[in-house]
Amino acid sequence: MKIDLGRNRQTSYIGGLVLALLIIGFTGSTQLADAADTYEIDTAHSMILFRAKHNSIAYNYGRFNEFTGKITMDATDISKSMVEFEVKTASVDTANEKRDQHLRSPDFFSAKQFPVITFKSTKVNMKEGEKDMLEVTGDLELLGVKKSITVDVEITGKGKGRQGESLIGFESTFTINRSEFGMTYGVGGPISDDIRLTVAIEAKQG
Amino acid sequence: MLLIKQLFFGILLPAIVGGGIFVIARSLSPKAYATARYEKEQDGFASWLIAAALGVGYIVGYLGLEGLPVFPPKLGTHWLFYLAIIGLIVARFWHRAVWGPIAQIAISIIIPRLLLTSTFKHTWGPIEGIIWWVCLAVVTFILWHRVEQSFSTLPSGASSPFVYFVLSGGTALILALSGSLRLAQHCGILVALFAASWMLTLGLQRDRKQFIFPRGASPIMTLLLIGIWMNGYFFAEVPAMSAILLVISPLSSAQVGRIKEVQELGGWRSTLFQIAAAALPVVIAIGIAVIRSGLFGDNNGY
Repeated sequence: MKIDLGRNRQTSYIGGLVLALLIIGFTGSTQLADAADTYEIDTAHSMILFRAKHNSIAYNYGRFNEFTGKITMDATDISKSMVEFEVKTASVDTANEKRDQHLRSPDFFSAKQFPVITFKSTKVNMKEGEKDMLEVTGDLELLGVKKSITVDVEITGKGKGRQGESLIGFESTFTINRSEFGMTYGVGGPISDDIRLTVAIEAKQG
Repeated sequence: MLLIKQLFFGILLPAIVGGGIFVIARSLSPKAYATARYEKEQDGFASWLIAAALGVGYIVGYLGLEGLPVFPPKLGTHWLFYLAIIGLIVARFWHRAVWGPIAQIAISIIIPRLLLTSTFKHTWGPIEGIIWWVCLAVVTFILWHRVEQSFSTLPSGASSPFVYFVLSGGTALILALSGSLRLAQHCGILVALFAASWMLTLGLQRDRKQFIFPRGASPIMTLLLIGIWMNGYFFAEVPAMSAILLVISPLSSAQVGRIKEVQELGGWRSTLFQIAAAALPVVIAIGIAVIRSGLFGDNNGY
């Protein structure tokens, strides 16, 4: 009887341990899922705009209509967050078909040779002293040239959509020198070297 | 200001440098290209200098317009710089019976693959890629052969640079109409070089029936033309028919020059036939590019 009692106690201890481990494991995995949320860019509610100065007189604006991207946000450790973008160069749109054709040509984006512009983050930090501001460093690849850039990104909002899906919004405005990527046509002439980009993103939890 | 810089580096400077080398080469061996001695005088330094006038002239123009390109090349236009260098090297041993043809075959195969790396990667599947590769290698090889033939089939030596002036001028115009002014500028360097060699021949050469270009000039001319055409068709918006007609132009000129009846015409009539054979496809190609460009459309002058 004594032995049986001992066996029963031993079994109940093991059962308890397994249960405890299961609970810890389950809770832990839930926390991990919450900590690193993955979002897909909602292209219908996102925009990639660029601005160039024409003849050193006026700013001309354009946009890319086709792009995809993925954002991984780790709320507990922001440095584990990641951003990935892929922009289709042929989708450049400046509301003038003739100009768009020229922008797609080897003078600018060489869209047939380089169908995509990519960005992949290598480092994400919260910006010190500023609420909801991130500092994202990553590799921007344009015309086959990869360069590391650091940009400030504002978290513009976080909440739920109509179907209860989690949404998050970002916006970033930064400037690049296109000649650094080999896009030299018209530099020092009619089209400015510095191009200001505005990336406004609404992303949906996948 | 930019236009003046482009005109200087893209037209004037290459013409001065290329023309200068051309004059030096002619003075070193003034009779080197006389019809009867053409076959024997292919391996001299002066002969290579004529080819170098085109290659160095193009390199000077390229550096003026674009600066030193990266290595390995990223853009299709970067390759043009390296093609000129390859052409200069190959031109030096072109006359050698074994190495010339081996280099010709190897380069005809390798260049389309290297220049169109991104198209192989992004656009074509494996089978489609191989078909294109074989076709482009064959076209490059045949074109090269015919460019070389054209130097000695044109009855008047002075008409040789003129034919290539027309061809490169037409190509530059088609590229500008097809949305790539940058490629048009590169072709403009060739226009300047052929114009300079043509005018210098007319001005300085007493016997205008002497041949101008040695066979060693064919690698530089073929590689630069095919490089610009491939850039134009695969990366810009040069219409397919215009691209085909541009390739046909030197082929038809050489072919017409071999027709017995045309040869028998002699003198300016025979020259005119061959120039017309080269110019006609170029004129049609320009016409197609004009129609396709929407030059007379609503949204010009953006």
